[in-house]
Amino acid sequence: MSYAYLFKYIIIGDTGVGKSCLLLQFTDKRFQPVHDLTIGVEFGARMITIDNKPIKLQIWDTAGQESFRSITRSYYRGAAGALLVYDITRRETFNHLASWLEDARQHANANMTIMLIGNKCDLAHRRAVSTEEGEQFAKEHGLIFMEASAKTAQNVEEAFIKTAGTIYKKIQDGVFDVSNESYGIKVGYGGIPGPSGGRDGPSAAGGSCCS
Amino acid sequence: MLDSEIHDLSDDADYAASLQQGSASVMLCNDSTKESSSASELDGAEIVYWKDNVAIHPTQFAISGRLKLIKQGSSLFMTWIPYKGHNADTGLSDKDRNLYTIRAVPFTEIRSIRRHTPALGWQYIIVVLSSGLAHPPLYFYSGGVKEFLATIKQHVLLVRSAEDANVFLVNDFQSTLQRTLSSLELPRAVPLAHGPSNISVDESTLNENEERNDNGVNNGSVSVPQFHRRPRHKAHDPARDLSIQVLEKFSLVTKFARETTSQLFRENQTNGFNTNERRTQIQTNLDPPNSSNVAGKISDENSAVPDSQEFDNLSLVWGKPREPPLDSKEWITFLDSEGRVTDSEAMRKRIFYGGLDHELRNEVWGLLLGYYTYDSTYAEREFLKSVKKSEYENIKNQWLSISPAQAKRFTKFRERKGLIEKDVVRTDRSISFYEGDDNPNVNVLRDILLTYSFYNFDLGYCQGMSDLLSPILFVMDDESEAFWCFVALMERLGPNFNRDQNGMHSQLFALSKLVELLDSSLHNYFKQRDCLNYFFCFRWILIQFKREFEYEKTMILWEVLWTHYPSEHLHLYVCVAVLKRYRNKIMGEEMDFDSLLKFINELSGHIDLDATLRDAEALSICAGEEGAARIPPGTPPSLPVDDGSVYIQHDDEVL
Repeated sequence: MSYAYLFKYIIIGDTGVGKSCLLLQFTDKRFQPVHDLTIGVEFGARMITIDNKPIKLQIWDTAGQESFRSITRSYYRGAAGALLVYDITRRETFNHLASWLEDARQHANANMTIMLIGNKCDLAHRRAVSTEEGEQFAKEHGLIFMEASAKTAQNVEEAFIKTAGTIYKKIQDGVFDVSNESYGIKVGYGGIPGPSGGRDGPSAAGGSCCS
Repeated sequence: MLDSEIHDLSDDADYAASLQQGSASVMLCNDSTKESSSASELDGAEIVYWKDNVAIHPTQFAISGRLKLIKQGSSLFMTWIPYKGHNADTGLSDKDRNLYTIRAVPFTEIRSIRRHTPALGWQYIIVVLSSGLAHPPLYFYSGGVKEFLATIKQHVLLVRSAEDANVFLVNDFQSTLQRTLSSLELPRAVPLAHGPSNISVDESTLNENEERNDNGVNNGSVSVPQFHRRPRHKAHDPARDLSIQVLEKFSLVTKFARETTSQLFRENQTNGFNTNERRTQIQTNLDPPNSSNVAGKISDENSAVPDSQEFDNLSLVWGKPREPPLDSKEWITFLDSEGRVTDSEAMRKRIFYGGLDHELRNEVWGLLLGYYTYDSTYAEREFLKSVKKSEYENIKNQWLSISPAQAKRFTKFRERKGLIEKDVVRTDRSISFYEGDDNPNVNVLRDILLTYSFYNFDLGYCQGMSDLLSPILFVMDDESEAFWCFVALMERLGPNFNRDQNGMHSQLFALSKLVELLDSSLHNYFKQRDCLNYFFCFRWILIQFKREFEYEKTMILWEVLWTHYPSEHLHLYVCVAVLKRYRNKIMGEEMDFDSLLKFINELSGHIDLDATLRDAEALSICAGEEGAARIPPGTPPSLPVDDGSVYIQHDDEVL
């Protein structure tokens, strides 16, 4: 299927916060509580439309356990977007956000768009992290923020699409040199950049693509 | 004279050893002795069968030649010499021709001949040597397979295999009723007729095709002897026969490596150099590697293995065909009356080639994993089982006795327990043994992992362990037994789960070294693409391909790996085998790290286990000691070495 752009996403965060479930909800529109834990990385993909352009999201769902960090780090390379996930019912998964962010900052390109997701918001009665805390953390670190539930599908679609919208806008603004795949963006066959900019080459207007 | 050195083996350690052993009777043949030896050996060599238009298909082009059976004294030899000049338009050179030529293989060194007579298409045969190596299929364009086999039968004992009517075993003295004796490892290649087991067939018989096809293509190389001179000897000595067999096995491989090296030169240099140039280049190749020269990367240290490109084109080597799983009836034959395994190597070999019937796993896995020793009796195993059961209960009680109040002050315990509880409900829940809500087996899985994290508190728990434990619990179906088998497995695979991942890194490093050895062009490709960390094989190695095959196949693979039969590190050769199978796709589609990772991930469920195991076996044979030497000591599943210097960093390491 042809696309204008392909964006590489990576989903990161502690083990058991629901990364794979978010992906499955987004790609298959279903919640599967019983699935095998992720070893290494799993892949998902879906087409979305932004500004009437077909965009393919290629999503890397990574293993969350600390021991695998050295491997996970190699997956950041060339990601345009990241979903950094914590579990609102487990405080420690929120506490570890800073270290995940540090990894991302260190191993991904500087213009990677990061969406912070407080997952499992259907379990409000067991909440251990307030919405405000999530918002505050996102604000401090320049992230987009949403609470979502892979179980009820609340905000799942929105989280993925909003991230894509931000990336798309960066292309339009000329932040990315889309001919350079290290930004996690590929121009597809139908991908004639719109008149508003984002064309190939280093001459893109407003480029701040130093990384 | 000079050119013959291209093929001589005087720098091959095994060759040198065999020379020493048989120095009195082994003589290297050079040009000056050619005539006299030819003349003296003409007597007694008789062509008993010959067939034209027998071809191999190593690439999209076929190479045609003449197949002959030659009788000398009481020994029978097979030769297949490609026609000279006929293959000019196929882009195949003298070197290819040389490479594929089958020069007088004695039947004492042939294990079996497999016949394929498809309804459509050409008949062909595959000749498998005692070493397990096989020649490429020989296609009979004008028929004649039956006649070929009939002729062999007149001179050599040829028995149809009981398992496959199209397989003919050569010199197989064991009747099918005596198959159990195979555990005694009778040498397959006992010289039937006590003739010299090595080549002493007249050169002129071999060179016939060359002379016949003199059509001017040879541009000067015609006068240069094309054939690899082999040692000749007359006296018969079983010990030497054995060394000769080893020599033959190595020479086959060594020859490939050399030919391949020159092939690489050919690819990298302008075309059309003549024999003398080739010789010069090969000499150059023995000099220190030149970084700008691809062929230089295959330095002389690599000379024991075929290049992958060549290897692929040739489809040259296959492992022994896989066998049906070992069943209880046959299993009994490996045990004495009290239950000791009498010949553990034969047993491991049998399991290596076929795996186990499921009902045997419960009894055999503990032995394969080293939980029970091979020399233990039934009674001793029962006794150990009960002792170990109470030992297990003791360790389990350590965490069972932690009260909720104590747990509150024991973060590490709570974290571990929480992690394990999260993971066991995400482990193989689609398998009926673990499926459904409140499945008690899921709780057993949790209890064993938690107990293990107390048994080995330093290692603790890491994701992937539940994948390794799941089939073990399913097979053992006993908490304590499963625990101890898991402990035995973790003795070897524990480093996979070290926090610093050193076990994984040493295996990925060893894998890169094996690919470098067995497929230098793929290695170079990975290097160019910055993929030498081999992270795309991470899951394969971490959990021993558990996610790549369905449950039953995983169990077969594991018991095969646990035999440590051809190599302790067969799993790495399995990795190489799969990579090689897809190498053309990987390189053809110019996969980068991301697409490679995705591609490898998506191979899950699509890997042919039997074919992969055959390839892996053949690769491990090819790599031989050279391969073993590239795997750092202590690399899992080897037991850890004491000095702690297990992991050798390499330059390309990303981390």
